[in-house]
Amino acid sequence: MRQVLSAALIAIVLCFGTDTRAQAPQGYPADYGKLIDAAKKEGKLVIYSTTDSVAANPLIKDFEALYPGIKVEYSDLNSTELYNRFIAEAAANNGTADVLWSSAMDLQVKLVADGQAAAYASPEIKALPKWAVWKDAAYGTTYEPIAFVYNKRLVPAADVPKNHTDLLKLLEAKPDFYKGKITAYDPERSGVGYLFVNEDVKNFPAAWDLFKNFGKAQAKLYTSAGAMMERVTSGEHLIAYGIFGSYALGRSKKDPNLGIVLPTDYTMVTSRVAFISKSAKNPNTGKLFLDYLLSKRGQEIVANKADLYSLRSDVDGEATLKRVTELIGDKARPVPIDATLLENLDQTKRLAFLAKWQAAKKGQ
Amino acid sequence: MPIAIYRFVVLGITTLAVVAPLSLVVYQSFLTAPFFDHSARLSLSAYSFVFAESDFWQAFWTTLAICIGMTAIAVPLGALLAFLMVRTDVPGRRYLEPLILIPIFVSAVVIAFGYVVAVGPVGIFSTLAKDVLGFVPWNLYSLASLIAIAGLTHVPHVYLYSAAALRGLSTDLEEAARVSGANPFRVAINVSLPMIMPAILFAGVLVFFLGFELFGLPLVLGDPQDVLVLSTYLFKLTNKLGVPSYQLMAVVVVVIIAVTAPLVFLQRLLLRQAQRYVSVRGKGLKTQPLRLHGWRWFAFAAIVFWLFVTVAVPLFGITLRSFVVTWGEGVKLSEVLTLDHYRELIDYPNVVRGILNTLGIGVIGGAAAVACYTAIALAVHRWNSGWTRLVDYMVMVPRAMPGLVAGLALLWVFLFVPFMSPLRSTMFSIWLAYSIVWLAYGMRLISGTLLQVAPELEEAARVSGANDLRVKRDVTIPLIKYGMLASWLLIFLIFVREYSTGIYLLGPGTEVIGSLLVSLWGTGAIDLVSALSVVNVVMIGAGLAVAVRLGVRLHG
Repeated sequence: MRQVLSAALIAIVLCFGTDTRAQAPQGYPADYGKLIDAAKKEGKLVIYSTTDSVAANPLIKDFEALYPGIKVEYSDLNSTELYNRFIAEAAANNGTADVLWSSAMDLQVKLVADGQAAAYASPEIKALPKWAVWKDAAYGTTYEPIAFVYNKRLVPAADVPKNHTDLLKLLEAKPDFYKGKITAYDPERSGVGYLFVNEDVKNFPAAWDLFKNFGKAQAKLYTSAGAMMERVTSGEHLIAYGIFGSYALGRSKKDPNLGIVLPTDYTMVTSRVAFISKSAKNPNTGKLFLDYLLSKRGQEIVANKADLYSLRSDVDGEATLKRVTELIGDKARPVPIDATLLENLDQTKRLAFLAKWQAAKKGQ
Repeated sequence: MPIAIYRFVVLGITTLAVVAPLSLVVYQSFLTAPFFDHSARLSLSAYSFVFAESDFWQAFWTTLAICIGMTAIAVPLGALLAFLMVRTDVPGRRYLEPLILIPIFVSAVVIAFGYVVAVGPVGIFSTLAKDVLGFVPWNLYSLASLIAIAGLTHVPHVYLYSAAALRGLSTDLEEAARVSGANPFRVAINVSLPMIMPAILFAGVLVFFLGFELFGLPLVLGDPQDVLVLSTYLFKLTNKLGVPSYQLMAVVVVVIIAVTAPLVFLQRLLLRQAQRYVSVRGKGLKTQPLRLHGWRWFAFAAIVFWLFVTVAVPLFGITLRSFVVTWGEGVKLSEVLTLDHYRELIDYPNVVRGILNTLGIGVIGGAAAVACYTAIALAVHRWNSGWTRLVDYMVMVPRAMPGLVAGLALLWVFLFVPFMSPLRSTMFSIWLAYSIVWLAYGMRLISGTLLQVAPELEEAARVSGANDLRVKRDVTIPLIKYGMLASWLLIFLIFVREYSTGIYLLGPGTEVIGSLLVSLWGTGAIDLVSALSVVNVVMIGAGLAVAVRLGVRLHG
């Protein structure tokens, strides 16, 4: 009993003994403390995300530690499920996520364009690249290079392609050796795959030749990075084209057989897009989380605990914008977060593009 | 007349539960946009779009081939297996039974992936075969392999139905056949199996339905060769247009329902004279195993071989994967052994809660679902009315929807039906979704058992003055107790594995193992997937062994 009493006493002292007004972090507007107080009153944050909870857990734990009293409810879904669930819940107006955080950049931009996002100018904007902020609503939160991944055991060192042209030449030179041994996302079945192939066409003049050679080499197309990397390390396939650097880095830390190449002619960079829902029940907490995710503290964890690559230039580590720049200089091609992504969702264009892809798949 | 009230209440609730999500889907198929979108107009454009797609037709015919193929494999094997296990003196039956059920409760994605590790192009057995023969004699990614694996892994479904029916059957007819000189297989084919034809037919139709719903196997095994089935076509459809198009998905579901409805009709036709199958009569049951003599070990070897192909090979693959860093061509397994994946699993967030939720929904949710199914089955039992036909069709319909679509439709119900919305983020919503989708499954098992109960037992009770409800409670239910237990076991296994139906309803606090597995699969953490699968298999395998041992004592 005495123990309980003293514990209660300590708790009371902790609650009232300190200054209850929250402090604004350095460089933030002076009235940020009010936002913190309002968020603590909400006490809860609902996030729908495509980032799996293993990767996101350190972020959530740190956020909860930074703002005690706020409880994060985190759901990981795939990008289609996330979209379906959110639009239905928003239409029914019966409780949905406060923050949406997804790697499907085009779908996220569409939701913002459809007016599903609440505009909020984060105090972190000045530390972010220009392409990563759209309409003060959609924010890029990561800097994920799209890499080639290969089997170090079975791909001869001389064959390892340094860039897209190398890969094209390799397939032309050794079509039999690599028959059935190339793997990539399927643009017909995966939104990510479509985005990648589309960006390649913008950045690489010989892209369609490359795809035709994929067709000739009977490249195997998948819908998940896990399936591709697993089959590359086993030797069922040898080279995977277009894998999120984040997943590849995580895997290569455990499995020394997996080699990663950031193509030196250009490396596409994608970013997980976050926004605050207009239907958020905890809008203040949503703002707090967004700011945290973009802050140096948050991005340190994004880079070094979650392997998701930080997009801030003041963060150090293996998975950072800094490191990617060291490797490929100015050849990074971030996919800008803006209305051009909506073109990807234009049905007529999409079907026409896919028809062309199907022809390329047959080697035509 | 309390029985009439009971019937209409039960029927009313069932109809509501099935028709609400279904009508949303059908309505959606005639619109141009999501039904909750203000720009939605009535139109047939979704139908013309889907029917003009060559991918759709390819997926449709492939799916049909898979359904027919897997039914043709699973039904005879499952029925024979049930006969051997329940009726004969095959050695080691006690130990075989839990093993037989394994394919039901291991996630299809895991089984498929286990096959990739074991017999894929660079799998353990494949490289072995290559060393010995110089080539790999099988191609795991072909349509034939897909059908064979789908068929073999669905044998236990048929087995469970048939075994439950056989257990309720007295052996005097079989003994008569045996005395007249029939060998054990003749007994099986001419006597035992025809007696349980309703259960076998039910199982057959269900396996066929499951073929339409098949997702995990074609996802993993069909991926590399571009084998497209309707459920994977739904994914492709979503992606082709960039934004999920519910009207197109709805059209596919309507097509599936249109194709499968005649099947239920056919089944009714075959079972018109249900009276023929009455076998539980007012006499004591005394069962004695048939002696197989020389066939004993042959039968045993056949079962073991099936177990080897269906259970041992994929489980060996997945277990091996959980203990190595990497595998495949040119890897010495002794150099890559590790326990790290299991250590990592301990740090995985929510894994304990996921396991507990999974068990909870299986044990408690399963029991509750069986209670509901029994209530419905009893409501239509011994009721000569057109309404029973309606129920027959109705219970099948939810299973005709791929789990993901059914789950989405149920999310809509929970969102847009006012009094349902507070229940949305509780385990109840997930339980309801599971129970509706697997309605046909549980119902068939229970009504199959009910068909075997002879009317004279119930009539005797009624003559002694009991009213209809009392007859059901004191006579019918005790007589179908084994059927109910088997049904509970089945539903437990199904619920433990189920995931896609709940995906739109699951949230923080209501994770299940299936959802953890799939989200890890997507990001490439196959290390954790394999370790978690092994833990899952061990856990449920142990539970199952206990349950079966208790069950054996119950009717031993």
